[in-house]
Amino acid sequence: MSGGGGGGTGGGNPSSNLDWRFNQTLRNVQGLLQSRSFPGKVLLTRKSEPLNVHDSPVHSKEITRSYSENDRGDEHACSSHEAEVISSGRTASDTNLQKPNISTSNNANTPPDARGSVSGARATDSARVAKFTKELSRPAVILEKLRELSWSGIPPYMRPNIWRLLLGYASPNTDRREGVLARKRLEYVDCVSQYYDIPDSERSDDEINMLRQISVDCPRTVPDVTLFQHAQIQKSLERILYTWAIRHPASGYVQGINDLVTPFLMVFFSEHLNGSMENWSISDLSPQIISNIEADCYWCLSKLLDGMQDHYTFAQPGIQRLVFRLRELVRRIDEPVSRHMEKHGLEFLQFAFRWFNCLLIREIPFHLVTRLWDTYLAEGDSLPDFLVYISASLLLTWSDKLLKLDFQEMVMFLQHLPTLDWTHHELEMVLSRAFMWHTMFSSCPSHLAS
Amino acid sequence: MAYRADEEYDYLFKVVLIGDSGVGKSNLLSRFARNEFSIESKSTIGVEFATRTVHVDDKVVKAQIWDTAGQERYRAITSAYYRGAVGALVVYDVTRHATFENVERWLKELRSHTDPSIVVMLVGNKADLRHLRAVSPEDAEVFAEKEKTFFMETSALESLNVENAFTEVLSQIYRVTSKKALDVGDDTAVLPKGQTINVGGKDDVSAVKKGGCCTT
Repeated sequence: MSGGGGGGTGGGNPSSNLDWRFNQTLRNVQGLLQSRSFPGKVLLTRKSEPLNVHDSPVHSKEITRSYSENDRGDEHACSSHEAEVISSGRTASDTNLQKPNISTSNNANTPPDARGSVSGARATDSARVAKFTKELSRPAVILEKLRELSWSGIPPYMRPNIWRLLLGYASPNTDRREGVLARKRLEYVDCVSQYYDIPDSERSDDEINMLRQISVDCPRTVPDVTLFQHAQIQKSLERILYTWAIRHPASGYVQGINDLVTPFLMVFFSEHLNGSMENWSISDLSPQIISNIEADCYWCLSKLLDGMQDHYTFAQPGIQRLVFRLRELVRRIDEPVSRHMEKHGLEFLQFAFRWFNCLLIREIPFHLVTRLWDTYLAEGDSLPDFLVYISASLLLTWSDKLLKLDFQEMVMFLQHLPTLDWTHHELEMVLSRAFMWHTMFSSCPSHLAS
Repeated sequence: MAYRADEEYDYLFKVVLIGDSGVGKSNLLSRFARNEFSIESKSTIGVEFATRTVHVDDKVVKAQIWDTAGQERYRAITSAYYRGAVGALVVYDVTRHATFENVERWLKELRSHTDPSIVVMLVGNKADLRHLRAVSPEDAEVFAEKEKTFFMETSALESLNVENAFTEVLSQIYRVTSKKALDVGDDTAVLPKGQTINVGGKDDVSAVKKGGCCTT
């Protein structure tokens, strides 16, 4: 996004103009979701008839169904997991924020079942799978096409392969792929024995401290997901983090990076285990397989963070920059909320720091994280830019609510977003709206100028 | 006052929780603010925030508590939150001596960002782990005396002394503040901003020290 910092004298957009644009965005989002066969990027059609976002329950139902259609295999597990989570808490008021939310979350509570009813969705879905299959079967995968498809979500069973490709870890060239992976996996094993498997006497004090910090954090990494309570997985996580930190001395280990490994662990384990994630028996896997999974996680983490070098260096300037840009973007998009926050002395750093530091993992239920990351990885180098838009979209999901809160209520609300009962529908809304705003604002830098 | 009845208070105090990673700061706060404890709570990234209202004498005191990340890397971010704090709990883990040794650095850091009159409580947490104890209360007491801080051992798990530690800090702040006769409650223009307990900042007129910031 070129318009991040503003600059330019601006086109003098009166706020009514902004309102119009905001409404237009909402309409577009809805239009987009309605015709959900998108690779999102093309469908910027403007509906001529007025669409009121608030009477969308009917649409949302369709959307949710098409999504559950879309999901296969381990996503079944996710639905039931989600149902458990919902029953374990959350006040009614939390779900009361938006009418569409109510209808969709109810719908999502009705487990996988209701899916059979929408045959249209199935067709769309298999068409999507066919497109993925086609792209993957090329002798040399065309990453741009794969990105475009992946942006709107990857079928879970294809995720491990596609993530490795999108991150530039696996070779697009089919012939070379296995060879390169084997080599990289060996290289990781070497790194571990060189850096991790050594006595403390060979480590510096800083390294000992870092290892201690990592071992404090591993057991409390996404503790609400049982997979990460497994001792063997925590050990893998420790090796990945320590090896990464040693090889990236400018940042070293920073709390929160531990969270970033979890989607990779989950996805790469899913390649070797069937059924619900809660029932995975890790101990059945051979040491070789676990070593390969660990290596894949390590390299994917490295690739992901290569694009965000200064997010974890001293004083974390990369994150501070994103927080600043988020504030500017929100000011452009939703002046009342921006003014309200400012009036109450709320600083974006007070809530958005964690959003960027952990790439929103802590802000949404874990079963939605892999879907969110499909979009992240599809964005590639543009991810930090796009994160600003996703965050704005997430924040302004509650723009009406925020206007009613004072400083303390706002900080607490934003540090504990009521997303526990979120389904794919809410996440798709956030992503689609982010996409709209990105299209509108980044192509017109003056929209961001004050 | 601009708030609902249950939001009314006479004093609003900003308190920070600092100390090494994994000593139990977040659980101390969740125990105090919501009477909750979780065995595997996530690490704190940046800062987290909670409030609780307590009664001191016949006054209603609202505490705004900022829980900070313990990792060194986050100091640049978290130290910004020290500004304006009138109270601090500096926490160590009684089972990890290194976390006690680091208290000195935490105090130094705190004092370089806050008013000298800030009320500080040294807190030795995880006192329930008696068999693993690595720091004796006597050593901590001596240290606290030298540093002129209050001292208490707590267990967030067993809910031991948590209430006491926080309320002691709050009443001490109240004592210092009320001496200066600053009744924040009289000034509705200040309150709705929420974060305005800037009574200890270097460039602010300090309520604790000089009082009378409301007259400006």
